[in-house]
Parts: sequence; C-alpha cells; structure tokens
Amino acid sequence: MTTLGRLQQRFQSAILAGDRTPGLFIDEENDRRNGVAIYQQAYRARLAGALRDNYPVVHRSMGDEAFAALADAYIAASPSHFRSIRWFGDTLADFLAGSPAHLPHPALADLARMDWALRGAFDAADAPVLTSAEVGRLRAEQWPTQRFTPLPSLRLVELAWRIEPIWKALDEDPDAQTTAPVFDPHWLLVWRPGLDCLWRSADADEAKALQTLQQGASFAECCAQIADSAASDPAATAIDYLRRWLADGLLAKAQR
Amino acid sequence: MSNPISGFGLGLRSSHYHDFLLAPRGVDWLEIISENYLVDGGKPWHFLERIRRDYPMVMHGVSLSIGGTDPLDQTYLRQLKALQQRLEPAWLSDHLCWTGTDSLNLHDLLPLPYTEATLRHVVPRIAAVQDLLGRPLVLENVSSYVAYRADEMSEWEFVRELIHRSGCEWLLDVNNVYVSGINHGFDPRSYIEAIPAAAVRQIHLAGHETHPDYLIDTHDQPICPAVWALYGETLRRLGPTPTMIERDDHIPPLAELIAELDLAREQSQAIFAECRHAA
Repeated sequence: MTTLGRLQQRFQSAILAGDRTPGLFIDEENDRRNGVAIYQQAYRARLAGALRDNYPVVHRSMGDEAFAALADAYIAASPSHFRSIRWFGDTLADFLAGSPAHLPHPALADLARMDWALRGAFDAADAPVLTSAEVGRLRAEQWPTQRFTPLPSLRLVELAWRIEPIWKALDEDPDAQTTAPVFDPHWLLVWRPGLDCLWRSADADEAKALQTLQQGASFAECCAQIADSAASDPAATAIDYLRRWLADGLLAKAQR
Repeated sequence: MSNPISGFGLGLRSSHYHDFLLAPRGVDWLEIISENYLVDGGKPWHFLERIRRDYPMVMHGVSLSIGGTDPLDQTYLRQLKALQQRLEPAWLSDHLCWTGTDSLNLHDLLPLPYTEATLRHVVPRIAAVQDLLGRPLVLENVSSYVAYRADEMSEWEFVRELIHRSGCEWLLDVNNVYVSGINHGFDPRSYIEAIPAAAVRQIHLAGHETHPDYLIDTHDQPICPAVWALYGETLRRLGPTPTMIERDDHIPPLAELIAELDLAREQSQAIFAECRHAA
C-alpha cells in the first residue's frame, strides 16, 4: 500500500463515517475550516438525490423526512460500487424488505421493485416491436420451432401486494390519498416498446411463460410449460397470451 | 495545435433535449456527461443521436478516477471507447482527481496531494488511458475544500508538470480556479498564468455558492462577476478558446443559458477586438 493509497483510504473512511481525519489536512483543527464536512455532506446529498431519482414513487409514498432517513441508512449499508450513479440503489427493495425500521408497510418494498423495474426499462436496449401482421405471415412449418423473443426492456417482477393502484395514483399526483394495498401475490410486467415505459399486472402462469421465452425457449416449449401449469385449456391460453403480447407490443422483431 | 471545434457551448442536459432538437441559435457545440450515455438505449440515446446531427460534441466524464489507487476500471474504459467511437467527439475529458478507493465510488471529484509521488502515480495512468483511447486525454482542475499537509507544490505547479510529463491536455475550469483560490488563499491569476496555454483545449464557466467560510462549486446559479473578470484575464492570456457553461442544478430554460453564453461571447469578442486594435 502506497502513501497515496493510505491517504485515500483515510479520506474515504472519513467521508463514509462522518469522522475527522487527524493529521491529513491543513487547518483541520479549525472548526470553521472543516472542509471535510463539505465532502461528507455532498456525498450523502448526491447519493440521496440519486435514490430520489430512481425511486420517485417510494419517495412520494414515504414523504421527504422518512425517505431521507431511509436514504441515510441505505447509503451507510450499501455504498456505491458503480461508475455511473444512475445504478445506485439497485438493492433498495431487498434492503427495505429486511429493514422493518424503515418499512411502515411491507408493500413499500414492492413499490420499490416497481420503481426500479421502470427505471431499468427506461434506458434498456431498444428493439423493433413484432407486429400481429408479421406473425400472421408465418408459414405452418415455421410454428414448431418458432421463437418469440420479448423486448430487451421487459422486466418480470414478482409482487406480494397489489400496489399498482397506489403507484399509479402517486405517479399522477404526489399528494394523492391512498389506502393500504391488499396482499395478493402476482406479477408485474414492465416493458418499453417505444420511448415510454408501459406496465401491467399478470398472473404467475403468464409471467412464467414469458420467462421461458426470455430464456430462449421456442413457442412450442413455451406451450408445453403452459400445459404443465394449471391452465384448463392450454392451447387457448397460449393463443390468448400471444395475442395479448402482440397487442401490448411486448415482443421483439427477430434479428436477421 | 488547432481545435476541431471553436466558439461557445453548453452542457447537454435532458431537460433541454426537445429545445436542442430545434437547433437554437447561439450554441456552437455541446458537451455531454459520458456516464449519462453508458446505457443501452431509450430516451438518452434517442435524443443524443438526433442532437448530434446538428452539433459538434465533446465527452466529459466524472468517474475515470485518474488519480485513484485502485487499478483503472477496464470495463469503464471499454465503455468510454465504444461511446467515443459511436459519438466521434472532438475530445474526451475527465478530472484531475480521485473518486474512491477499495472498489467504492464516492461520486465526487476529490483532490489529490500535490507531490512528486502523486505525479509518478498519475502520469503512467494517463499514458494507459491515452493508449487505449488513441488520443490525448483532456483533464480538468477541480474545486477543492481541503489542502493536504503532504503537499509539496502548488496545484498549478503540479498541473504544469503533469502536462509536461504526460502529454495530456487541459480543460481549464475558471470557476474552479476561483473557488479554490478563495478557499485556499491563493491568487487565481497565478494559477491561470502557470498553465501552458498550448495545452488548453477548453474552458468551463459555472456558478458557485458563497458560504461564510467557503465557496462551494454548485453549478446551480449564474456566473459571478469575479469569475467573469477572471475569464477575461484567462482569454487575454490564452487567446480564443472554446468555452462552455456548466449548469447541473436549478437548470433554467435554455434561452436563459444561451443569454448567459452570449455574455461570454461578447466578452471574448470585445477582448480580441481590443487586442487587434492594440496590435
């Protein structure tokens, strides 16, 4: 470890812990000239700002004060390893789920999952959307091996609580009055067919069918998975799913 | 050395994407924050590609950590290189600073101790980056709020020596020189006079906050009169130099920033008309 390396470790430790750094800086014993405090404050403010940007609805749901306390705790527990601050906060939902002190209601972790999924879809890779007309032109012999690939932006999010109405209300109006969500395990689909993100709720069977497509399975294999699930009419269910995915603009045109 | 871009630019911020699609007059070029485009797609790239058709651009990074003691982040460097190939910027800049150690990123521009050992540490790192990117790296002086007991030379002596040894070029942030000068009690003009004029590619201007014991570089308000005066002195020394205004908080409507940029243009024109007259 070089002298420079040790100096940087000591300065970094002081910023992270909010401590003084004896012996490192000129004027450091002068309270009015405590420049380290400027870096300490800026560090927390910058990361808290990134969390507010990445979790706008969680912020609205909690209010400024509670969100600031959550941000302080998260920043202390999960300092950034990212080159770009855009990714900071990737584990906030799990942190919330494991931190009863910051969790006035367990559904808050699901709100965080929804915020993060939307943030991820926002700048995910683009791909042209597959249309119903293009699927209609498939020849019969193509169907057994046909693959349908979801858009790269598709996020499949498992939720325990029916939080979508709260998310929607707070997204539209920061001061919206909301009621506690009901416990209702299901899935959320988030995707971006153009510049704007879309989302809707889904049941576990549909989410699992999409997961198989994300993993590269053919449509026939996807249908087999649907048949293994509880669907009473697997063929009709598979066709319904496909029609809906096409209508949603959720599948990508095949790459040539 | 001639600059591939000239005139007066602004930092591209997402709140002005739609304005720039209309290619407003009064902005000659744009600077992007590289990290904002290290993403795969969506609105950032949609707008960047369209705006790039109308404006020359330069790339400005905030997380190279050229003075850091962790190894250079090769993944990040490859991303930067890919962005450079896609965007074809006139040049690529970052800061003379470190941003974290032990794999952490504090997302701040932390000052280095100005010592011979630091020079010996940073020069080969600059060489490695320049080799990978295939071009000179442009580095910017940061604002600072601490001075190390370990310092063996002034910041400007360090910068001059760094440019000499590494062949890097310079982004002279006039506001940062002023902020650090007030915070540490040096004459900002000494700094400006010490920087080799031939190495300066670009000038940054910005606003700062005034606190009782410190100036803080906030980029959230208009440029103050003292920084305008220092900019004038800088231009007299350097000659015409591509200049841009950075605004990162309390971002006003684009027309307001263009009006502020016009002040830089008018000052520059007045200074060089005066110089021609004197000659």
